[in-house]
Amino acid sequence: MSKTIVCYKWVKDEADIKVNPDLSVDLSKAKGKISDYDKNAIEAAVQAARLLAGKSIGLTFGTPKTKQSLKDALSRGLEEVCWINTEAAAEADGIVTSKALAAAIKKMDDVSLVICAEGASDTYARQTAPRLGALLQWPVITSVSKIQINGDILSASRKLDDCIETVKVKLPAVIAVLPEICNAPIPGLKAVMAAGKKPIAEYQAGDIGIDFTSKSQVSGLKAYAMNRKNIILEGDTSEKIASLVAALKKEGVL
Amino acid sequence: MAGIYVYSDQSRITAELISFARQTGAAAFALCFSIEQAKAIKDFGADKVYVLQGGSPLVENYGRAVADFLKSQGADLFLVGATARGRDIASRVAGHSDCGMVSDVSSVSWTEGRVSCERLMYGGAVIQEELLSGFCVVSIPAGKFEAETGESSEIVVVEVEADNRVILVDTAPIVREGADLSAADKVICVGLGIEKEEDLQLAKDLADVLGAEIGCTRGISEERHWLPVEKYIGISGAAIKPQLYISMGVSGQVQHVVGIRESKIIVAVDTNEKAPIFRAADYGIVGDLYEIIPLLTRALKKDL
Repeated sequence: MSKTIVCYKWVKDEADIKVNPDLSVDLSKAKGKISDYDKNAIEAAVQAARLLAGKSIGLTFGTPKTKQSLKDALSRGLEEVCWINTEAAAEADGIVTSKALAAAIKKMDDVSLVICAEGASDTYARQTAPRLGALLQWPVITSVSKIQINGDILSASRKLDDCIETVKVKLPAVIAVLPEICNAPIPGLKAVMAAGKKPIAEYQAGDIGIDFTSKSQVSGLKAYAMNRKNIILEGDTSEKIASLVAALKKEGVL
Repeated sequence: MAGIYVYSDQSRITAELISFARQTGAAAFALCFSIEQAKAIKDFGADKVYVLQGGSPLVENYGRAVADFLKSQGADLFLVGATARGRDIASRVAGHSDCGMVSDVSSVSWTEGRVSCERLMYGGAVIQEELLSGFCVVSIPAGKFEAETGESSEIVVVEVEADNRVILVDTAPIVREGADLSAADKVICVGLGIEKEEDLQLAKDLADVLGAEIGCTRGISEERHWLPVEKYIGISGAAIKPQLYISMGVSGQVQHVVGIRESKIIVAVDTNEKAPIFRAADYGIVGDLYEIIPLLTRALKKDL
């Protein structure tokens, strides 16, 4: 049976990032979430699998904490998830991530389509899909805003900087989708209940057989300094508005 | 030949990348995929301009061909302009070259075969420093370096094989409604704090008084479909740099804030005093936008 794989990433929620006065960054309290745009990609995979009369499978590469994501992913309509569970994922760059994902995809038969979001909400590096294409030796289409599937031909609209491009490809292929590909509905209670019964495949680092050493070495992390005035205007409504108009005049921006 | 190789689908960025490559003291070579492109970039001081010809109209189809060419040349570094196409081909080349890559750097230096760079993470909230050694790929947005002109470069045509599995069917220019947000002098931004589509009129009235363009957050265009997608501002949408940005009902998630950071003055109006937009703002009014915005419009109308 045809399989549609969607790769997703369990990321730290940027809303929980704490910035210390010296601009050092504290991520220790940050909760995890499925990367925002990956939720749209998951829904796109569920829909594509239906068109291909096949199965949709989530694939994630993450640390043991990624376990929290599995039920959430399954409640979004995927039929299975596959999890590459290793601490090495915490330090992984684009090359390691794509090799780990490609190794897991190669273990599966009858894969018609691999879907990634264009970028993850932590790194937004946008490397995974093109790298997967190179590793799997499959064609790749990025910046995809719409797809149509007819038999084994996929047509895609690509939203580029100045044009919309329509391209087509014979499956199997890898696509990177923009969030506008489709909405990501919040799973209902029934879907959440059903998720608990769906199959989960787990691989350890040793099952994957790749070198987990990143080529890119992270040498520092600091908060972006927002040098803004942060003036909250006080008073009653008319005073606030008068102060704002006066301030904008003084700034010379009106 | 060893040296820094650069590519962008925009000539202006190619010029900037050549300029950076030359500043490092390395030889600078520019790649392109047609004679017309070669002519457009031959006066920016590259040691050579290589035209890779393989008969495909899609630059992305040359990923493997570029990787093979760079390997045969013994390239030290491949710099690519971070446009939609550029990011794509850069990542393909990194994949086929089995090498490291840093995407969308905010700063970069290259000395003795080592790349040191900074890039933004978490929607721009965090700056990460990265080091790479050996051949690698770096994608760089427009405007990071000053372009220069130089003596006319020699143009060398190289026959390569394109990967023709992805077929171009059609290209349609993006029809933008109204002016280009990224060039707007003033922007009024609408967020999910707006309750009904017809309430966009509040933003329109304010925009009319100020001569501003209207933008929005991702939710307004992609979830509610109240404004076209090219109107949304943020990490996957438009990046703006107006003199004045005024938000109404925008909470200020980092994915949005990264798109407005180059604004000169940021004004926020929102009911939630804890909304992150106020930390990103110069001036904030905590209050009901349905009350504040019409009064602000009236005050400005009287004043301007």
